[in-house]
Amino acid sequence: MNPFRVAIAVAGKDLRSEWRTRELVPALAQFIVLALLIANFGFQIDSRNANTIVPGVLWLALIFAGLVAFGRTFAAEREQASLEAMLLTPASPVAIFAGKAIAACALLVACEAVMLPALALFFGTPVGADVVFAVLLATIGMAALGCLFAALVARIRARELLLPLLTLPLWIPFIVAGGQAVQTAMGLSGSYEQAIGLLIDLDILFVVLTSLCARFVLDE
Amino acid sequence: MSVVVGNGLTHWFGHQLALDHVDLVLDAGEHIAVLGDNGAGKTTLLRILATALRPTSGTLEIGGLNAHRERRRLRHYLGHVGHALGLYPALSATENLEFFCELQGVPRSRVRDVLETVGLRAEAHRRADQLSRGMQQRLGIARAILHEPRLLILDEPDASLGADAADLLTEVMRGKTVVLATHDHALASRLCPRTLVLRHGRSVGTATRLHVVK
Repeated sequence: MNPFRVAIAVAGKDLRSEWRTRELVPALAQFIVLALLIANFGFQIDSRNANTIVPGVLWLALIFAGLVAFGRTFAAEREQASLEAMLLTPASPVAIFAGKAIAACALLVACEAVMLPALALFFGTPVGADVVFAVLLATIGMAALGCLFAALVARIRARELLLPLLTLPLWIPFIVAGGQAVQTAMGLSGSYEQAIGLLIDLDILFVVLTSLCARFVLDE
Repeated sequence: MSVVVGNGLTHWFGHQLALDHVDLVLDAGEHIAVLGDNGAGKTTLLRILATALRPTSGTLEIGGLNAHRERRRLRHYLGHVGHALGLYPALSATENLEFFCELQGVPRSRVRDVLETVGLRAEAHRRADQLSRGMQQRLGIARAILHEPRLLILDEPDASLGADAADLLTEVMRGKTVVLATHDHALASRLCPRTLVLRHGRSVGTATRLHVVK
């Protein structure tokens, strides 16, 4: 059985379900817009300090949207008992995990497609291809980690509490590197290339690590 | 030849003993009904046989393989219908089954055949959450037989099936080794020549069809 076909089938199933029910993406998009709106009123952001504050606002909104998105990936499967049905097939748990992570990543990218234009609209900051690239790179590694912990806590009753506690510390490197990349892309000092290089390294590290761990988390 | 050999199967959920040293031997093509009150351990036993649950102690061999060390290899061999059907509500009956075709590594052309077998051809394109409970149960059964398993584990499959439950299950069980848990003694007696009775997690013996009817 081809693990790539399994991963694509799992991701396709999740995306099709989301397209039909529209449970997650509209709510997350609203959440992001509201978060940006609150930041707009909460901080005294003007043209002088926008480039310093806006990257922080971007990562905060992205992190909390990500926690909700990744938390739902396995919780929904557990609630409808479909995760066990999947795991009782001969399909590789790693391929199933990869499919779930790809779908969660795609959903977060859909939210980012709302967030980045909203960011430019509310704060008047430049959101160019370099900002988009940095955010997309961070999303990959964050999705891999978020999905692994979502799978781990899905069978626990206090999963909404545990998921942030486990995930946030490991997302810090993405926030540091991603924050630096976005700040330099918005005109502050620093090396964009160095930050992007670090994000690529982190993506490779965490995609490999989570793939190795997924078998034990899902199968046991 | 014995297809299932379970020795001393025991399972604890925390401090609660759910299954207590149950032995089970099944030959190829044999059908056995598992009877017992609620909480007797039927579902626990069936989940262990389906390799969804590891027994706390005891050994289980299915098709000559250790069911827990080699459970991934065994999954081509097993079909399981549990209490929770595990369907995707937003997908149609066909899409649900096509998805599991990919996971089982079987061609999508099987979907038409199994929908026909369970009597859901007319509902093939309806979403799972728009099907009645009985139709969902049929879809769950269709998913379990998609890959033509040799060992079929059915946990109260007759729930919500309606008047033709016995006919449908007879068709589905034909040629397979089957473990069937049910509360319906008449159905058990009709479909299974052997019966295992559980009480408080313990086997209180096996019986032939005649004894169960009595």
